[in-house]
Amino acid sequence: MVNATKGVFISCDIPMAQYIINMNASMPACDKFIIHILDSTHMFVQPHVELMIRSQISKFREDNTYVKPS
Amino acid sequence: MGHGEKGGRPFKKFKGAAKFEDSRKTFAEDDDPYGGDHDAYEDDEGKIKDFSQLELKPDHVNRPLWACDNGRIFLETFSPLYKQAYDFLIAIAEPVCRPESMHEYNLTPHSLYAAVSVGLETETIIAVLNKLSKTKLPKEMIKFIHESTANYGKVKLVLKKNRYFVESPFPEVLKTLLRDDGISRARITSEGAHGDGFTISKALGEIEGTHDELLNQAEVAAAAEEKEAHAFEIDPAQVENVKQRCLPNALNYPMLEEYDFRNDTVNPDLDMELKPQAQPRPYQEKSLSKMFGNGRARSGIIVLPCGAGKSLVGVSAACRIKKSCLCLATNAVSVDQWAFQFKLWSTIRDEHICRFTSDSKERFRGNAGVVVTTYNMVAFGGKRSEESEKIIEEIRNREWGLLLMDEVHVVPAHMFRKVISITKSHCKLGLTATLVREDERITDLNFLIGPKLYEANWLDLVKGGFIANVQCAEVWCPMTKEFFAEYLKKENSKKRQALYVMNPNKFRACEFLINYHERARGDKIIVFADNLFALTEYAMKLRKPMIYGATSHVERTKILQAFKTSKDVNTVFLSKVGDNSIDIPEANVIIQISSHAGSRRQEAQRLGRILRAKGKLQDRMAGGKEEYNAFFYSLVSTDTQEMYYSTKRQQFLIDQGYSFKVITSLPPSDEGSRLHYHHLDDQLALLGKVLNAGDDAVGLEQLEEDADEIALKSARRSQGSMSAMSGAKGMVYMEYSTGRNKGQQIKSKPKDPAKRHFLFKKRFGPT
Repeated sequence: MVNATKGVFISCDIPMAQYIINMNASMPACDKFIIHILDSTHMFVQPHVELMIRSQISKFREDNTYVKPS
Repeated sequence: MGHGEKGGRPFKKFKGAAKFEDSRKTFAEDDDPYGGDHDAYEDDEGKIKDFSQLELKPDHVNRPLWACDNGRIFLETFSPLYKQAYDFLIAIAEPVCRPESMHEYNLTPHSLYAAVSVGLETETIIAVLNKLSKTKLPKEMIKFIHESTANYGKVKLVLKKNRYFVESPFPEVLKTLLRDDGISRARITSEGAHGDGFTISKALGEIEGTHDELLNQAEVAAAAEEKEAHAFEIDPAQVENVKQRCLPNALNYPMLEEYDFRNDTVNPDLDMELKPQAQPRPYQEKSLSKMFGNGRARSGIIVLPCGAGKSLVGVSAACRIKKSCLCLATNAVSVDQWAFQFKLWSTIRDEHICRFTSDSKERFRGNAGVVVTTYNMVAFGGKRSEESEKIIEEIRNREWGLLLMDEVHVVPAHMFRKVISITKSHCKLGLTATLVREDERITDLNFLIGPKLYEANWLDLVKGGFIANVQCAEVWCPMTKEFFAEYLKKENSKKRQALYVMNPNKFRACEFLINYHERARGDKIIVFADNLFALTEYAMKLRKPMIYGATSHVERTKILQAFKTSKDVNTVFLSKVGDNSIDIPEANVIIQISSHAGSRRQEAQRLGRILRAKGKLQDRMAGGKEEYNAFFYSLVSTDTQEMYYSTKRQQFLIDQGYSFKVITSLPPSDEGSRLHYHHLDDQLALLGKVLNAGDDAVGLEQLEEDADEIALKSARRSQGSMSAMSGAKGMVYMEYSTGRNKGQQIKSKPKDPAKRHFLFKKRFGPT
């Protein structure tokens, strides 16, 4: 029988994929959101986490960026 | 990953200002490519200021700079008057950022203090500034200049027969100073002083009337003409504090420290001249003329990029003063280099110059000479050998004509300040390439040594062919999947640095660059790594020599010698020890694989290792054969903290006008299999090695400030766990409770049935 799940398809580079996987791993079991890891740059996740992932990644990148104090 | 384009960074503030364009259409000019958007800038609160109200002079096109009422000055470097304007601005203002076509300066009380100390008068400053400015000089700026310079020169600090005196023709100024707690505590009251306690020299008689009357400006001036010098003595140990209290941000009576060496008959002369072949370059002449402006020697700091010939400036200064000179360097190697420079450029006789380090304790004969030593040797507080104790005593008791301090940016460190307080000198000259510190204590130098006398513009020296034209590049190395996964784990937070430094992609990029420069261009390469673990790992894998803190002096010399002469040794790996002062003029490529967090100074100092100009002059000049003749690569693992540090580190060089090119595809894919760590297995083995290394092994190298006597004598101290020493690392002792307390424990800690493993659930049955 075919099972259909609605989700979001994510395509990103290798490190960011690892970041998302790490994020998923740090969640409690009930909040895990990755449905399937397709390969090292693609994955399929629950639809409701998209915004959360985006904000987490932008925060992560913010932390690694130096802005010259004026 | 979208880190923004590098080249645009220094101009960020101008981008924001461009928004104002529309509202100021009337102001924008067509002939100016910058459209006037550089006269607005973000002030401290991040707001954009609007200067469109400033009145533009009718012939503004011919004038090179914009002066704004908040003390900022912008200079157009394409103006025909640039050279003159630059010389003037560098004397009165602090350079903030100097990219190619537009410089930004800031007027500060300190910079104006420096300006008057090199002989510029308040009215001259305002007049010239007004002449050069496109706009009418703002009232605020004129007021600011007046306020900052009014009190200058009223107080002098004089060294007489090994005692320090604060001297002034105005007794009430001295009284104001003494009202300050810090200064009155530093005062030494001598007996037999006059009524108000000041010793008066060259006095023509008692001053008539009370001092209160003298507060009148005219009379103050009249009193000054009588050349009466009132003075009080201060404790030599407190000189630094007193100077600090007198700075513009405190009492605002900056002290003038000038040494009239020509009329100094107390201290014996030293017979030394510059050799005729020593031809100071124009900027060296200029910096010296700032120091000896009115026939006297002023204390201060001269800032020249590495490799621009700082030593010649130092030696020339010593030759002009012709008195005993104490030269301080950071380590034993540079002591040797300084002694060599003195002999190379001046006619000083061998017996008049001596080195004082742990290895060579020479003493000069005669009553004047040059002593070259390290900061450590002088400031060392512990017990010394009898021999060095004697020499130190001699240094302490002597009155030095010139105190020459190399790499002066290290001086604010607590230990080095001691040096200045124990050596008595008439004049201090600080030399440095990077007047920047992360702890913002750089302003301390204003009272420790003196104002900045001269600062060269790096790009102008590059254009003139005096220093190498360096191509700076930041190489982005993506983390491999496995390394990044480990990097993200919380339990690896201490190993993060090791992980991003040992990133196989970085290693491969490094290997590729070494191969390329060694084989294709025949360059000499220095690889810098702060992280000892990485340094050893890289050097071993690539089979290259390396130098770090624990490498002995003999071995260092041997490796450096081989690097300089041998055709087979073209690459050397250096740890932090190579940052300063190791002179390797042959090198022209630097690859940086790890660094000390966000230190701007380290970046600039490292770049300095390759700045010494190479090749023929005509090739180096604009339009010559080679556009770039030196290369500076900084390897950065993307998506890690390193990106943050890397950008921060570059700020100093960007402010000097350098731009960093970003390279993203190294090594090229066709090179892949020829380099190490091509296979996943190798990469995983490396990862295992990093993870298994102890936390203390992968950390930063703990390095004493210097590697001479003190560092060698004291035991090396590094943080580590006892288990690492005993070899019991990784073993874990666990305490198992014996059966005795079992019953109690179970009672006190009833297990939550829901959390029970399903195997046990079966056994205990549903509860």
